[in-house]
Amino acid sequence: MRRAHYRYFLAFTLPALAVYVLFAALPLLNSMYYSLFDTDGDVARFVGLDNYHYLFTNPTTSERFWNALVNNLEFFAIHLLVEVPLGLLLAALLTSGRLRRSTGLYRTLLFIPTTLSVVIVGFIWRLIINPLWGLVDYPLLGTETTALPTISLMSVWQYVGIPMIFLYAALLAVPSDVLEAARVEGAGGWTTFWRIKFPLIAPQFGLIAILTYIWTFNGFDLVFALNGSAPGPNYSTDILGTLFYRTFFGSSGQLADLDLGATVASVIFLIILVITGAYFGLLHRRLKSYEL
Amino acid sequence: MRAFRASVALVAAAAVVLTSGCSPSASGGDPGKVTLTLGSWRTEDLAMWQDEILPAFEKTHPTIDVKFSPTNTNEYNAAIQSQVDGGTGPDLITCRPYDVNRSWIKKGYFEKLDGKPMLDAFDPLALDPWAGDDGSPYCLPTAAVLAGFFYNKDIFTELNLQVPTTQDEFLSVLKAIKDNGKYAPLAVGSAESWQLAYNGLYSIGPAYWKGEEGRQGLIKGTKKVTDPDFVAAFSAFDAWKPYLPKGSASLKYSDMTQLFALGKAAILPDGSWDINQVAVGNLNVGVFGPPAATTGGERYVQEMPDMAIGVSAASKHKAEAETFLAWTATPEFLSLYVNKLPGFFSMGKEPVTYTNKLAQEFADLKQGAKLTPRLGLDRLSAGTPPFDDEVWRVLQLMYTKDLSPQDATAELQKGLSAWYAPQQQK
Repeated sequence: MRRAHYRYFLAFTLPALAVYVLFAALPLLNSMYYSLFDTDGDVARFVGLDNYHYLFTNPTTSERFWNALVNNLEFFAIHLLVEVPLGLLLAALLTSGRLRRSTGLYRTLLFIPTTLSVVIVGFIWRLIINPLWGLVDYPLLGTETTALPTISLMSVWQYVGIPMIFLYAALLAVPSDVLEAARVEGAGGWTTFWRIKFPLIAPQFGLIAILTYIWTFNGFDLVFALNGSAPGPNYSTDILGTLFYRTFFGSSGQLADLDLGATVASVIFLIILVITGAYFGLLHRRLKSYEL
Repeated sequence: MRAFRASVALVAAAAVVLTSGCSPSASGGDPGKVTLTLGSWRTEDLAMWQDEILPAFEKTHPTIDVKFSPTNTNEYNAAIQSQVDGGTGPDLITCRPYDVNRSWIKKGYFEKLDGKPMLDAFDPLALDPWAGDDGSPYCLPTAAVLAGFFYNKDIFTELNLQVPTTQDEFLSVLKAIKDNGKYAPLAVGSAESWQLAYNGLYSIGPAYWKGEEGRQGLIKGTKKVTDPDFVAAFSAFDAWKPYLPKGSASLKYSDMTQLFALGKAAILPDGSWDINQVAVGNLNVGVFGPPAATTGGERYVQEMPDMAIGVSAASKHKAEAETFLAWTATPEFLSLYVNKLPGFFSMGKEPVTYTNKLAQEFADLKQGAKLTPRLGLDRLSAGTPPFDDEVWRVLQLMYTKDLSPQDATAELQKGLSAWYAPQQQK
């Protein structure tokens, strides 16, 4: 019986596993493999870590790389500092009972942007903040200081539904007897939220933070949709995803460089792997919920 | 879920490698009839080739069947490379201009065209973008695009303005429109930096760096970007700055076109490919060429080679492929092609008549003008940092952060000297 169980397990996971290996794991390994070669000549030549050396020492490529990394950190920070508190606020409002029967309606409305295509989101926002026909007089996307925060906030607007739904589910899971006990003890809404609900959902924040990290460091689409593969002004909205795209596929004025592109991809993967690994290895286990 | 996108970029990268290896050039079918495939990046032209151009060819060449098989423009280079390297690939390859094609020639993708009579239909300058390092031509030019200025004739009439022919006249026209205050003088935004270079600097600049003389000088290393001629060109571009519309730093190319098409701006520096987007409704549009640097000075027009076709060295039907290629040099093909695609222009010696009025006006700009392609794309962008990308960047900084023409050209020269051997000698 147990053996049959195991066989079923294998049979049912195999299709997903095959797709995952074929379309995610193999390309990943393949691109790491490419990053060790020089393919510019007629035959691919093994060059060890030369591509990595070039990426970090050539004045132009290293400047672009660090610029993209710093921009990406800013992109991540804005998500973390704006999207998560906003998601918490919305989730708290949704579970507060003040919305009565329209809770479902608001939940859906707030989640809808998440399902939209980034191309549409980028297009709509670009029109809204267009200095010619939009609501804002200032060229938000045109100056180096405001362009990246503007794009980040568009992305926050779109994806705020995700932390909201995580926290909403966690808040719903708070046992009602605890809340009733609090009410009997005379705790108001504010106290109940911060002293009872918040500590119970706190472990969710670690998970949301690491997911946000992974999403933003794999970010590409919104920036590309708005600003193309050499995102300006002066590369101020260039993040790692667009840097990879430009290096691997080339842009109008830049020839495609397969092995350097693969190198950039591998570095991005390592950046994500190290932090995610550290999170799950060191931090995640310590984030325990209160025993009730 | 977004989480799944974790390795989308890598998957996309691998997909190119995986799929491109397995699209063979189908041949066969009925005996005595040869099927050729023509690879291209212009997916949008599929219907035109299938319904108009190829039937015209097959009518006179019943034994050859040509199949147009395009790939998305972003994937085209990678697809062709992996196909040809893998021993398949189309019989006829559409050639990118300059550096990409030069690397393909080096890899032996094409049959040499030396001494073929079909070359006689073109000037050496027209063949140059697709020549190898030895100067031999490998691809036959199909079409080029031009850059110039669209202007709103009604606004010019209303404000009693003349079409400018020199930079001074151009600036006084801009000033007159600005002083009047009713219209934006120039529909130019700097959110998309490519068009600042392609439709701005590379269009008005050749009058200062003297077209091919300056361009070849940079390529050979006898001239520097910091030379007075180039600085003067950047200054001429800088002189537009007071006439940019409100919020121009975040206006995109489509905003510029709309601003002009809605009749709210008088002049739009643009490329010929935009003809259909600009001439909408009953807007009264005309075209004028880049102004000369001084009164009576030489006129220059930017003619950018866009595509050519070459015979694949791996083709099994080279004779038939050459027959088709020779046909693309005939006035029959050239006039068919450019009239189906207004905004594209024949590079052949034989003049072609354009049924589209604006296209004809654009073609007329070439009369009596010296032609030159975009400054930064030949050789100068085949290293890091690519010259062309750097030009985009500094032009954007000139408009958004007041970078001076002197500093802009100095920065470009520094970038070029970092890797381009001919610029490193002195």
